[in-house]
Amino acid sequence: MDIVLQLLVSGVLLGGIYVLVSIGLTLVFGVMKIVNFAHGDFLMLGMFGAFFLFQSLGLNPYVSIFVMAPALFLLGTIVYQTIVGRTISRSPVVQIFAFIGLSVALQNLALVLFSADYRALNTPLVNKVFQVGPVHVSFALLAAFLVASIITLLLFLFLHYTYTGKAIRSASQDRFAATLMGISNQKIYRFTFALGLGLLGIAGCLLIPIYSVYPTVGEQFALIAFVVVVLGGLGSLPGAVAGGILIGLIETLSSYFIAPSMKQLVYFCVFILILILRPNGLFGKPGAAEVAAE
Amino acid sequence: MSLEQVGASVPVEKKQKFTLKNGMQLAGILLLLLLPLVLQEQDFLVDTLIMIALWGFVASAWNIVGGYGGMLSLGHAAFFGIGAYTSTILFVKYGVSPWIGIMAGAVVAGLFGLFIGAVTLRLHGPFFSLCTIAVAEVLMIIAINWHSLTHGSGGIPVPFRPGAVNMMFDNKVTYFYLAVALLAIPYGLSRWMNRSHFGYYLIGVRENEQAALALGISSVKIRLIAMVISSSLTAMGGTFYAQYIGIVEPLHEFSFQLSAQIALMAIIGGIGTAGGPIFGAALITLLGTVLRSTLGGAQGGVQAVVYGLLLVVVVLVIPQGIVPWFNRFMAKRKRGSVHA
Repeated sequence: MDIVLQLLVSGVLLGGIYVLVSIGLTLVFGVMKIVNFAHGDFLMLGMFGAFFLFQSLGLNPYVSIFVMAPALFLLGTIVYQTIVGRTISRSPVVQIFAFIGLSVALQNLALVLFSADYRALNTPLVNKVFQVGPVHVSFALLAAFLVASIITLLLFLFLHYTYTGKAIRSASQDRFAATLMGISNQKIYRFTFALGLGLLGIAGCLLIPIYSVYPTVGEQFALIAFVVVVLGGLGSLPGAVAGGILIGLIETLSSYFIAPSMKQLVYFCVFILILILRPNGLFGKPGAAEVAAE
Repeated sequence: MSLEQVGASVPVEKKQKFTLKNGMQLAGILLLLLLPLVLQEQDFLVDTLIMIALWGFVASAWNIVGGYGGMLSLGHAAFFGIGAYTSTILFVKYGVSPWIGIMAGAVVAGLFGLFIGAVTLRLHGPFFSLCTIAVAEVLMIIAINWHSLTHGSGGIPVPFRPGAVNMMFDNKVTYFYLAVALLAIPYGLSRWMNRSHFGYYLIGVRENEQAALALGISSVKIRLIAMVISSSLTAMGGTFYAQYIGIVEPLHEFSFQLSAQIALMAIIGGIGTAGGPIFGAALITLLGTVLRSTLGGAQGGVQAVVYGLLLVVVVLVIPQGIVPWFNRFMAKRKRGSVHA
């Protein structure tokens, strides 16, 4: 019984990380109807940033959040202005392959600048574990989970109770009507894309005490993020939360009860099944898949 | 996709007359085909030509589904890997000739493509792409973990036993002609699709599925046929690759990089055209070679950064691909001049 409890707790905590990695992706899709295929590579930049801030300045990764979030927000603005903005309402070929080109460039830039080495943070933070009753909890995982919860809550409040947030939601519901109400879609899109990347800056700081970083680290996380957001419904924030936790649980349970090497197989199969049986996800608005096809 | 593109991919082909232009084209192709004989000693150049023909073949196969069908697969590595593994396992474990293996791989991949096509019928745009990525990932995980069959992540080395029966040759030039022969299949098929009912139906389904259905075209049947043809041909490329390179590795054969590369070649060259994917394959293969030799570095590095950024620029500036763009440019010039 204890082991099941332990697995459930670990699974939910891991799920928190997946939520954090995924909400930017789902937010950008919800508003702009584009799938950011370079999502994982921006996360990789966030992780490298946090790593080097610690390495050179000794900055605690949890403090680095305040550097990396604005840095990636700024990067997001630049990338939107130069590339992403030009893909809006164009054919899927342009939308998908502009991001794939960007992904190739970013991965190889990291390879040139940082080499292919795996780098892990070497601090006491990494291995700190405490015990609650029969359950062991890793400090880094718990911290990531708590911050992910706070961020998600803040994002939800922002989207529902601020003017900008409401404008973002209205643009996601009907871009034409939003324009008629005097909302500049370009500004909203730029802000949303930058916000999505800013969230990845935070995610990078929280992940670096847990995972090592290398130029292609983003690929695995991007795949997980795709699974999470499609499971929850692309564009749905509560869906990303539920999807993230669900994938965390699936991964933890299947690696214990089946085999560690099979955990990915299990969640990819879940992914394919969801795509086939319910392409709008568990929480997605009906028709999200069709909107993307246009 | 725009209307212009339909125009580009549905040319009215008149009965071919032998003109000076046709003659020069023919002579050019013949020269290109004879080139490797002259370059025999230059292994590196022949190798580049083989790679161009192979990737042109695979990109053309992708183009049937991705270009004509508009289903942007990002998992064609799955079929490539199935082809490579099927023939290699048959060859290495059971001594079956790769000539039979290449057919077996095509059949297995075709059935798999039929299955994937059937279950993804409702998916469009990025959702279809995401599903195909996941399918290739699943196959990669299986290939890594099914040790008894695949030797795990180390891959299966293909012993070099030259001989026509083994599809392995001492002389690289033979590989080149084999690759060109393969390339002729999807190229001919694409030329045929440009002026056949099947091609028109496929493009029709791509452009407007509802309208195609209303005209009595079974979009399900058309999509599935395209999927089967494309996946079988891609698998044949996998077998050729295994016999030429001499090893099959799950981390390459089923990788997302490979899937993306196949699709990118077709897109850069011009999707939904017969020549586009071949031109794209030549351009990207040569670009890779040139960038590697001028900017240095083996795999990855500065050259790949330039390559990635170039892709972004091309996709944004000429999304229809280079071949259609060039054709339209020439047509405009022709219209402009008196001697049309």
